[in-house]
Amino acid sequence: MAEKGSVIGCHTIAQWNRQLQLASESGKLVVVDFTSSWCGPCRMIAPFFAELANKFTDAIFLRVDVNELKRVALDCAIETLPTFIFLRQGNIVDRVVGARKDLLPKKIELHMRN
Amino acid sequence: MAVSGFEGFEKRLELHFSGNDPLGLRRLRCDALAQVLDAVQCTVVSAVGNRYFDAYILSESSLFVYPQKMVLKTCGTTQLLRSVPCLLRHTADLGLRLRACRFSRGSFIFPRAQPFPHTSFAEEALYLEERLPPSLCFRRGCVLPSASSHSWHVYAAADDDEYVAAASPSTFTVEVCMTELDRSLARGFFRRKGDERSGDAAGVDMTDLTGIGGISPRALLCGFAFDPCGYSMNGLDRDRYSTIHVTPEDGHSYASFECTGGGEVIEWLRRAIGVFRPGEVSVSFCMAEGGDEKQVWSATSAALEPLGLSCRSQAAEGLPGAGIVTYQTFTARGK
Repeated sequence: MAEKGSVIGCHTIAQWNRQLQLASESGKLVVVDFTSSWCGPCRMIAPFFAELANKFTDAIFLRVDVNELKRVALDCAIETLPTFIFLRQGNIVDRVVGARKDLLPKKIELHMRN
Repeated sequence: MAVSGFEGFEKRLELHFSGNDPLGLRRLRCDALAQVLDAVQCTVVSAVGNRYFDAYILSESSLFVYPQKMVLKTCGTTQLLRSVPCLLRHTADLGLRLRACRFSRGSFIFPRAQPFPHTSFAEEALYLEERLPPSLCFRRGCVLPSASSHSWHVYAAADDDEYVAAASPSTFTVEVCMTELDRSLARGFFRRKGDERSGDAAGVDMTDLTGIGGISPRALLCGFAFDPCGYSMNGLDRDRYSTIHVTPEDGHSYASFECTGGGEVIEWLRRAIGVFRPGEVSVSFCMAEGGDEKQVWSATSAALEPLGLSCRSQAAEGLPGAGIVTYQTFTARGK
C-alpha cells in the first residue's frame, strides 16, 4: 500500500481499475501523469509531480506509462506527453498537455474546490 | 529605429548524430540538457513530446530533440555556440557520433551588443573550427548576400562528402525572418495589464487571437506569452516541428517562423507572413543536394507576391551535410 502523499504507479489494467474504484468510493480527485521513458519533458516534470502529490494529500496521484497501458492511453486520447488527466467519479473533467509547472497546481486547486 | 533593444534575430544550430540506440539523443538526461542550456544562458519554460521528438520552449527561443537530430535556436544575446563542447561531451557518453553540423543566422539588428563568439561571423566560424571533431572534415562557411546590408550566414560541416542530413529529397527546412511588423498586429503580442495568468495560459489565447492557430491546423501548438510582451510557440505534427518567436516592440519588431515538411511548407510560410504583415522578409530553405533552387525561388516569390511583397534578391549555395541553402529577401511594395 503506497503511503499518503506519494505518486502511485499503475502498471496493469487491474491496478488502474482498482485505483479508480477506490477514488470513486472516497469521492477524491484523481490526477494522472501519462508518461513515457522516451520523453524528455516527462522526466523533467516527474519530480515536480511528486512534490504536488506530497502537497495535495487529499487527492490521488497516479502515474501511467503509455507503453505499459496502451489501452488506457488510447481511451484517454493521449497523443502528446506528458498529459495530466483529472478524474472525478471515473469521469475525465480536465486535462493539461505539456510539462506546465505554472498551470498544474492551479488546476489541482480548482478541481479540489469543486 | 531604436538605439538598442532586444535582439530578435536568432542563431540556429542543427546537429546530426548516429548511434545504435533508437532513442538516441532523447536519452539525454535532464541535468545534461540543463548544463547545455546553462552554457547558452537560457532555461526551459515549457516542454512537450510525442512519439517522434521532444519540443522545448526556452526563455530565449526553442530546442527540438529527435533521436538523431537536435535543433537549438536562441535569440537575444545568448552564446549559442557554447552549447557545442558541452553537448559533444554528453553525447559521447551516450555512444553517439556527430555526423553533421549546420550553424546559420541572419544579420543582427544590434550587432555590437553580441558577446563572444558572436561578435562576427569570422569569430563564429573559428569557434566551430576549433571545437568540432576532426572527423567532420568537410567544412564550409559562406555568406549569402542580398541587395541590402542584410546577409544570411551559414557554416556547415560533415564527416562525409555525400552525407545528406535531410530526411528525404523532398523534405525542406525553411527559416523565415520578418521585421517591421504591422504595428496593430504586433500589439496582439503584448500582455494585457492586470492579466495575472501564467505564460502558457495567456499563450493559448494569444495563439488563437493572433491567427497563429490557423497556420498549420493539424499541428498541436504550445504557445507561451512573455511578460510584458513577446511570444514563443512550438508546433508538433507527427515527426514535423514548427516554431514561431515574436519580439513585438516598435522600432525593432521581429518575428520568425520555421518549419519542416514537403511542398506544403510554402502555404504555411505564406500564412505565417500573413499573420505579421511585415515590411521586410527573408526566406531561407535548406534541402537535399539535387533539389532545384530555381523552383524554390519562384514558388516562394509567387506565394509572397499577393501579400504585397516583392523579391529583391535571391541566392543559393551548396554546403556539406546540409545540401542546398537558398536565401531570398523581400520588401513590401510602396516602401
